[in-house]
Amino acid sequence: MKDLAGYRGRTLEFLRRASAGVGDVLEVKTDWGTVTGTVVPRYASADDSHVVLKLKTGYNVGLDVSRLRGAKVVAAGEKPSFSPSPAPKARPGLPKILLLGTGGTIASRVDYRTGAVHPAVDSSDLHALVPELSEIAMVDSEILFNILSENVKPLHWAKLASRIAKAVAQGYEGVVVTHGTDTLGYTAAALSFALQGIPIPVILTAAQRSSDRPSSDATLNLIGSVSIAASADISGVYVGAHLDESDRGVALHAGTRVRKNHTSRRDAFLSVGVPLAAVWEDGKVRLIDDGPPSEVRKALFRPKPKFSNGASLLKFYPSMPPSLLPSLRRSGTKCLVIEGTGLGHVSSDVIIEIGRFVRSGGMACMTSQCINGKVDLDVYDTGRDLLNAGAIPLEDMLSETAVVKASWVLANTRSAEEARRMMLTNLAGEMTSRRLPG
Amino acid sequence: MMPGDRPGLLVGLEVHQQLSAPTKLFCNCPITKTEEFPFSFERRLRPAQSETGRLDPAAVFEFSRDKPNLYLWSPESSCLVDADEEPPRQVSREVVETGLMVAAALGSGVVDEAHVMRKIVIDGSNTTGFQRTAVLGFGGSLMVDGTKVGVQSITLEEDAARIMGEDERSRIFGLDRLGVPLIEVALDPVSGTPEFVGHVALNLGRVLRSTGRVARGLGTIRQDLNISLDGGAVVEVKGVQKLNLVAKVVAYEASRQRALMEVAKKLVGRGAKVKCAVKEVTRIVPWGGSEVLSKAVGEGGKVDCVTATGLSGLLGWEPAPGFRLGREAAEVARAHSLGGIVHSDEFRKRGISEGEERALREYCGAAEDTALVLVAGEPDRAERGAAAVASRLELAPDGVPAETRGATRDGETVYMRPRPGAQRMYPETDVPLITLPKELLSAAADSVGEPWEDTVKRYTNSFRLSRDLALRLYDSDSAPVFEALARELMVEPSVIASILVEMPPRLLREGVPEDAMNEARLVELLRAIDSGAVAKEAAPDILRALGAGKAKTVAEAVGSLELSRMGESEVSSLVDRLVRSSSKLISERRESALSPLMGELMSEVRGRADGALVSRLLKERLERALKAPRGRQSSKALR
Ligand SMILES: [Zn+2]
Repeated sequence: MKDLAGYRGRTLEFLRRASAGVGDVLEVKTDWGTVTGTVVPRYASADDSHVVLKLKTGYNVGLDVSRLRGAKVVAAGEKPSFSPSPAPKARPGLPKILLLGTGGTIASRVDYRTGAVHPAVDSSDLHALVPELSEIAMVDSEILFNILSENVKPLHWAKLASRIAKAVAQGYEGVVVTHGTDTLGYTAAALSFALQGIPIPVILTAAQRSSDRPSSDATLNLIGSVSIAASADISGVYVGAHLDESDRGVALHAGTRVRKNHTSRRDAFLSVGVPLAAVWEDGKVRLIDDGPPSEVRKALFRPKPKFSNGASLLKFYPSMPPSLLPSLRRSGTKCLVIEGTGLGHVSSDVIIEIGRFVRSGGMACMTSQCINGKVDLDVYDTGRDLLNAGAIPLEDMLSETAVVKASWVLANTRSAEEARRMMLTNLAGEMTSRRLPG
Repeated sequence: MMPGDRPGLLVGLEVHQQLSAPTKLFCNCPITKTEEFPFSFERRLRPAQSETGRLDPAAVFEFSRDKPNLYLWSPESSCLVDADEEPPRQVSREVVETGLMVAAALGSGVVDEAHVMRKIVIDGSNTTGFQRTAVLGFGGSLMVDGTKVGVQSITLEEDAARIMGEDERSRIFGLDRLGVPLIEVALDPVSGTPEFVGHVALNLGRVLRSTGRVARGLGTIRQDLNISLDGGAVVEVKGVQKLNLVAKVVAYEASRQRALMEVAKKLVGRGAKVKCAVKEVTRIVPWGGSEVLSKAVGEGGKVDCVTATGLSGLLGWEPAPGFRLGREAAEVARAHSLGGIVHSDEFRKRGISEGEERALREYCGAAEDTALVLVAGEPDRAERGAAAVASRLELAPDGVPAETRGATRDGETVYMRPRPGAQRMYPETDVPLITLPKELLSAAADSVGEPWEDTVKRYTNSFRLSRDLALRLYDSDSAPVFEALARELMVEPSVIASILVEMPPRLLREGVPEDAMNEARLVELLRAIDSGAVAKEAAPDILRALGAGKAKTVAEAVGSLELSRMGESEVSSLVDRLVRSSSKLISERRESALSPLMGELMSEVRGRADGALVSRLLKERLERALKAPRGRQSSKALR
């Protein structure tokens, strides 16, 4: 059975007639000469008129099958034989770190024959690709799930939190989670609430440039994050990523105060309203911030890996139809986080709907689209109207953190009063008591 | 055999020509050279493992040098795409069209769909660790001196970052050049003389320029040469920046490779096997006599001794002047950022005494026929350097090893790194596929400009330039301005061409600075000649005055040199005065007095009048003087 990955319609027909498949060396005649190359997979989204051959020089070319004559297979596809370089020996005595994969490729190798990129699949593979890790820690790795980060749902947060809780019981001294960058901040917030009081560091890390590239930021982020997890005197949930555009340092961000603030830069993650927790640079960790108040940090570790799908986030904008609120309510939203303007404001027609939302038994919380600063509903009439309608001002909580928190709160209490109290309590460093200069 | 002939010499030429495009290939940055870089960042590239688990030798070499790359950038010429901080945008249609024009000009076949690939390059010259490149066409040919030279491939690719230096900490690159669109044309290997290879490069450059879409000026065209002799491996020489260096580099490489083959022959004659070992000898002798070694040790470095059996006497041997195996080993050490080496064929000359040599030989267990090579420097570096020197020397029996070398400004070559293995390429998934429908190709074929031979013929026929001047003009950056001026001005086209392309290099040798003779200045000068404000003979003096800073504009220079043009009557009265005061000469030499008189006049006129006018007036006046009865003339003279 021939592998015809990506080919369809006319090209599929063409390859079938030539009894060729991916990996076979095909010789075809064009208007300008004979071309010989290995058939490589075609992108599923590409058209069905070009067959792609990889030439001996390494280049791929697309040839229009309607203009080709005399296609014949001159050599059958050979399977690449893979012999990974031996993994360095684990060094007993180093801290035990668990590396959890959730998707994305933190380390990978390229099949230059077909152009495919294969991620590291287990610990030994990972060690072969990033041998530096065995100098830092005894790393066990495990792929928990393999999905794009935009497909991460509350059920994945729950699964991840449970596995990390188990890692604490297994005696790991730190956990590093690899995760796509897009929703990394949300997952970090989710783990922060589910794993309050965790006695070991949990560091989520990622790459903005995929690991098949020589310039990938994955390796530095991984080495930096494992180093911090293995050596720093910290606990709690953090995000570790490039400090700046250089391959020099990894910044550690508090899990509830971190935001992806750039679509593509290596230093996309920023700590909002709080200093960095730590910086790893030149092989050393420098602790900067103690993080949340001690009662938060010293909370008893009682993992609560449960999340609800009943929380929604809505960004207010001038032309927003107020009817969005009842429609969200009807589709199951129990807690609505509204990202208001300025100090946390919305238009008066939306305030009316917020009142109805709350009277129907829902919970409505206010955050600000300013990103920096806290909401305050006591300054203007609009704010006071919102308070009267039942809106809960969430201080300086980030909107993304707020909706994750609401999802966690809904799953962990049935009482509306308790839910309101939890939303307003600083559980995992998600709110600050003072906004500081700098 | 011709003196320049090298039997068995094969040269494959790859020409990399920058295109003149409004933006870089994969981003919207303008193409400009940056002098001041306000920002920098530092990166390390890591060789990605291939599916086979094997690493590329060239990649391992670069990685083992273990120096981060420092990238300098400026908003005027670089953006986040150049810094590998943003995905590339798709290739502009215009650049693809230029590629197709080159294919049409060379008669090449074109693929139906071009795929941008990532070609792994981890020497730091690309921030991504790969070069984006797409092959557009294959086949075709060009004629050079009556010989048909085949084209292998036509490729569209991005230029690399500009290497700006290397210090102890890092290698430094400027990002202004990174991403500039290049067309690479690879030719079939040709045999023949180095001069012929030079002509091939020259003619290919002319074909590329005939598209009218390529960049001009120094550094916009670079040649890579794959050079081999019969029985030797292919040596890749990168970065020949000037066309006139191609022949020189080929000749140099041919001599170098022949010399290495001679060394190999000697080894075969000796029946010697070359086996190398490395031993640290930092503390074995005091190194007092060698400044290089004692300095390295004093700075906390170490000395490694490479022993190479069978090579004694062959490191310093020069089969041809300047070519020694020892020099090859030194270049390898230098590529590992080490100062150099000291080998046993030159121990006495380099301050290692006989006693010290004996101690070293004894410690390393090296017999008489074994050569010793001392490699000193910072410990890690010395270790890597010694290992590299050892592997190089073990290849001595092969003659010419496959390697990548760089071309110097003088047309020599130096070792850069081992030859990369098979090209490591995989698809650039961030850039869409480029379909090249037939219509696009025929449109490109239609917009290809006049073939260069036709342009040169047109210059010789319609503008009456000599073929030599026409070629110089075509090869210069001034052809477009020449065509415009030749049509617009009344000045002879040959004068325009000569002032544009012949005068500046001549005055440059005299010491007139280049910027005093930039195109705008030359155009200003030609317009002044055209308007009659100045004679063409005054052109060099005007440029000299500008060069010396005596004037800022051509008009000022004319004034300062009192070069304002003489009218016909002024010239006429000057002629008259001279003829009258030279009656003795004229009466003695009759018609042949013309030449000395003309010389005297021209030096007096000093470029203020056209030579043709002076000559006509003098001839007329002289004729009259000779026709006049002598008596009358003498009586007039008596008056
Ligand atoms: Zn750019």
